[in-house]
Amino acid sequence: MSDKVLGAKCTSCGTVNYPSRPVCRNCRNETFEPVEIGGEGKVLTFTDVYALAIDYETRYLRLAIVELDDGLRVTGQLLDDDPKLGKRVKSTIGIVREPGDKPILGLQFVPA
Amino acid sequence: MNPVYIAGAGMTRFGRSEWPLMQLASVASLAALRHADLGDIPVDSVVVANMGAARVNQQTALGSALVDQLALVPAMAEAVENGPASGASAFKIGCQAIASGMADVVLVTGVERMRVVNGLEGTDFVASLSQPEVEYIYGVTLPSLAGMFARLFMDRFGVERKHLAMIAIKNHENATKNPYAHIQQTVTMEGILTGPEAVVNNPPIAEPLHLFDCCPVSDGAASVVLVSEGVAKKLGGTRVRVAGIGQATDTHAVQEREDPTDLKAVRLASEKAFSMAGATPKDVDVAELHDAFTILEIAESEASGFFGRGEAHVAIERGETRLDGTLPINPSGGLKAKGHPVGATGVAQLVELAWQLRGEAEGRQVKDAKLAYACNFGGFGNNVVATVLRREDS
Repeated sequence: MSDKVLGAKCTSCGTVNYPSRPVCRNCRNETFEPVEIGGEGKVLTFTDVYALAIDYETRYLRLAIVELDDGLRVTGQLLDDDPKLGKRVKSTIGIVREPGDKPILGLQFVPA
Repeated sequence: MNPVYIAGAGMTRFGRSEWPLMQLASVASLAALRHADLGDIPVDSVVVANMGAARVNQQTALGSALVDQLALVPAMAEAVENGPASGASAFKIGCQAIASGMADVVLVTGVERMRVVNGLEGTDFVASLSQPEVEYIYGVTLPSLAGMFARLFMDRFGVERKHLAMIAIKNHENATKNPYAHIQQTVTMEGILTGPEAVVNNPPIAEPLHLFDCCPVSDGAASVVLVSEGVAKKLGGTRVRVAGIGQATDTHAVQEREDPTDLKAVRLASEKAFSMAGATPKDVDVAELHDAFTILEIAESEASGFFGRGEAHVAIERGETRLDGTLPINPSGGLKAKGHPVGATGVAQLVELAWQLRGEAEGRQVKDAKLAYACNFGGFGNNVVATVLRREDS
């Protein structure tokens, strides 16, 4: 269980590939260094979803796509009782899914 | 490239079915084969479209299974899995076989039997098409992607929930004229949005989308018979030509798209299909779009080139996309009301359009339809197949 969310920074053009992939989406280079994903940003869009997948016992999940200040967009869970488009948020790491007894850590966002 | 024609089209009624997977597929296939009336002309190849049988029906190798059920052995056979675009992908592969000269008659059948599992399991099976590391682990489901897309799109273009409701009302009304539709029940603005009962009738699914913004979960199958020009000539009658096919992909994860409100793969697939057909969106008489969520009918009708950006909801207010409008969209009821057996959907869109072009769509017939367009939207827009069909009177 990793306590960091990692992307792959291209050693040639510097593009952060997140999700990581073996070929850079910008320049097709094939070498990368790991880079930690997270920080502050603003809510690009969000939803309260009641149509849930397996592994969730809650009534709904609040999900968001956040545009980080470095320009990278990331999907995560939004822990905010008053969500708004454009609202400033910052990332934390928490349990985002628990299939069986194996919790998965990932990005959660709280008001900045 | 050799010309390709649709000689026959058939389907099962969509909805909850007690029939096993192969019975659904066989019934639709036999309907299409009867419609084509091939006589002693042999079927060279069978292509089956399906997304989830391996997981929800514990059955694989569906091409081999169907070719045997239909007693078409030793014809060629395979199955195609391309998420919710499986149907039009299988259709495209069938067309390629005829266009290349490798086959003269191809049966393309889309099938899905997904109501056999509970809601969570069904939602999860479809969610497995999302990006595993940056989407799926967070609890992303297709409704959640549609909800996030809708909020952004509505905010940017001034689309309101009433516009989404207008799509639902229109498509439900169309479905009452389609005996193959899953839901044959009209809905009203009061009932789903403005009236006192709306809160109960129309609960949220993925804000701002509510129940009546989402397609039902359906079982069903749809089938077409594709033939070469030589076979089409022998068969005679009204011919439906596959005038153009376009396909394009986009990033797996929605978050990586430059403009998340731009359905780029729809735009590119549509441009390719129209270019191949030598036609423009203005020439289209009837369209079937992939309205798994009401917002998608709006967004796809713009990305396909029928309306400018931010203009589709205005066209809907004017009634332009109704059955009696200037461009009827989803006369079948769309995924919204006809239903969405995932692997069957892309084929079912083309079944409806083939019937429309042959003048066989009964109570929902678009008058004198000559050019038809379909958009089969896979993933959340990461794999899209657009098709243009043209009637040729012989």
